[in-house]
Amino acid sequence: MKLRAQLWLVGTASAALGVLAVVANATSDHGQLRGLNTALGTLIGAAFVVTGLYAWSRRPENRVGKLMVATGAAWALSGLSQANAPLLFSIGLLLSPLYIVFVTWLVFVFPDGRVESRLARWLLIAGFVDVFVIYGVAVLLDIDTSYINGRVPDNVFAVAHAPGVANIFGNTSAGIGAVIVAGIVVLAVRRRRTASAVVRHAGGPVLSTGLVCLTAVSISLAVGSSGVSDLAHGIVSSVALLAFLALPFAYLIGLLRTHYARAGAISGILGALSDRAALRDALAEALGDPTLRLVYSSGGRWLDRDGHAVELPQRGVTRVEREGECIGAILHDPALDDDPQLVEAVAAAAALALENERLEAELRARVAELQESRSKLIEVSMAERRSLERDLHDGAQQRLVALSVQVGLAKRRLHSDPAGAEELLDRAGGELKLALEELRELARGIHPAILTDRGLSPALQALIDRVPLEVDLADAPSERLPAPVEAAAYFVVAESLTNVAKYAKAGHAYVSVQRRNGHAIVEVRDDGVGGADPQAGTGLRGLAERLTIIDGRLDVVSPPGHGTTVRAEIPCA
Amino acid sequence: MATTVLIVDDHPSFRSVARMLLETEGYEVIGEAPDGEAALTLAAELRPDVVLLDLGLPGIDGFEVARRLPAGPAIVLVSSRDARDIGPLSEPVKGFIAKGDLSGDALREVLA
Repeated sequence: MKLRAQLWLVGTASAALGVLAVVANATSDHGQLRGLNTALGTLIGAAFVVTGLYAWSRRPENRVGKLMVATGAAWALSGLSQANAPLLFSIGLLLSPLYIVFVTWLVFVFPDGRVESRLARWLLIAGFVDVFVIYGVAVLLDIDTSYINGRVPDNVFAVAHAPGVANIFGNTSAGIGAVIVAGIVVLAVRRRRTASAVVRHAGGPVLSTGLVCLTAVSISLAVGSSGVSDLAHGIVSSVALLAFLALPFAYLIGLLRTHYARAGAISGILGALSDRAALRDALAEALGDPTLRLVYSSGGRWLDRDGHAVELPQRGVTRVEREGECIGAILHDPALDDDPQLVEAVAAAAALALENERLEAELRARVAELQESRSKLIEVSMAERRSLERDLHDGAQQRLVALSVQVGLAKRRLHSDPAGAEELLDRAGGELKLALEELRELARGIHPAILTDRGLSPALQALIDRVPLEVDLADAPSERLPAPVEAAAYFVVAESLTNVAKYAKAGHAYVSVQRRNGHAIVEVRDDGVGGADPQAGTGLRGLAERLTIIDGRLDVVSPPGHGTTVRAEIPCA
Repeated sequence: MATTVLIVDDHPSFRSVARMLLETEGYEVIGEAPDGEAALTLAAELRPDVVLLDLGLPGIDGFEVARRLPAGPAIVLVSSRDARDIGPLSEPVKGFIAKGDLSGDALREVLA
């Protein structure tokens, strides 16, 4: 059922019930101060129902509105106890304490409508059990109504006439009710103390009035059940009634205060921004939420003011749009989710300033990225130098050392053992060839000359020719690309093919380099065993780092048993 | 009686030429070790007069092996780098020879 229909239905039913209660009060043969009771009863019931319907329409997901209507309706039901007709009188008698449970529930959950405390939930359930079971038994046993003056109708729900026992149940019910309400008061005070500034501010008038009301109700029930003093009972009951009457008006005062606060918040923000105050502080003050944070939307990410990436929480997020584009978000106390118009109005007032801060945050993020890539550049370069030194030391240098020793030894043996010297020189020649080949390989690894001289396509072909593997060069740009792009693409293919040859157990590999949408897309695919972990070795990780320096990226897809695909995207205007 | 030598180096080509060279020059090479762990075991077992110890070993490096070797043999460090890359030496290392300069005379000079 749509909200509007629900509100109409509930409103009409409550009005009908209210009319019935008014008639019952006005025509009562056993009621006292009929005029005053009728007027007061009508005012209380109508105030709760009308205010509740308004709250329900504004925040359908918040239980506060429904609870206010329920309290008003339960109050009207209790008014039926003034009826002359036995059935209506009995219904009113049976349900007369119900409104106390609803108002207790209402005060505890105000303003967010939630019962997060398990103890409070059990206390509220116990309240219903107390009314419907313990007090219900008292009514079934024909609870004593002799204290009411005038002609009291028969209790049609009475299954036995045992007023003595019934009164024990009645007093027990009132005593339990007093304890439950007192418990809820304690929990509500504690909840209010630990609540955020936003909740405390929003719930101010209702919580204060409600706590006075519940405290008085608890004392009234306790005093009533003990029967110690009619005067004391009368005083606390009056206080409870007055506070109860004031509750819906307290809600309206709170609402008015919020409206004024909203107008004040927006003008406050505009004023603060013209003073070039920090936007966050202005918003925090306007919304009464010192924990408020701002984040900015940038390229599908959320950034904080310093340009660091942040994750959005599940609740307490209001997105800010400007000209149809999401430019940022306000992260606030989840309690403000109950008043989205307030946050949105404030956000709209601040959108322009937020846009400026977003640009600043983007700039900071870019600077941070540049600093990071500069550090990475140094790291990568240092790692390459270390690797080069290691390769030289372990390769050509060792061979040249051995060569030097062999030549020295051969020289010494030249006359005494010419055949031995010749053998040593043969070995030295072999070492020399190997050393030369290793130096050439190393030079190619540093930067292949063919890449500089003739471009990417011939360099890739030469690379593929040296790999001990069947490789197809499917695509490669015929034109020259910027030198850093050619170098990056070449080393992606070189490193990938080295890995294929070393680890993939592949029969075939496929290489392609295409220009697409301002990028060079490099792809190396094989039909090997897959299961490659790009984080495990230094090669692919180093490559990925080199690519991030030039705003590129590297993806490795390598499901076990289904080959490996290395794909690099390198910006190439 | 010839001076006994244990050669410790991870490059087989160097171990091979060093053995040939030293044996030609009158030394007795009684063992070869490819890394620090093997060097410690063999040194304790063979009790050589000299341990020719490469600096750049995989795992435990030459300096650490020198520190852990049992007292007795003269420890001579070797490296494909030259003395300028090595820095000052301290006990128990007896001296340093660049691999390219290795000869019987060079070893004798260090041991003297």
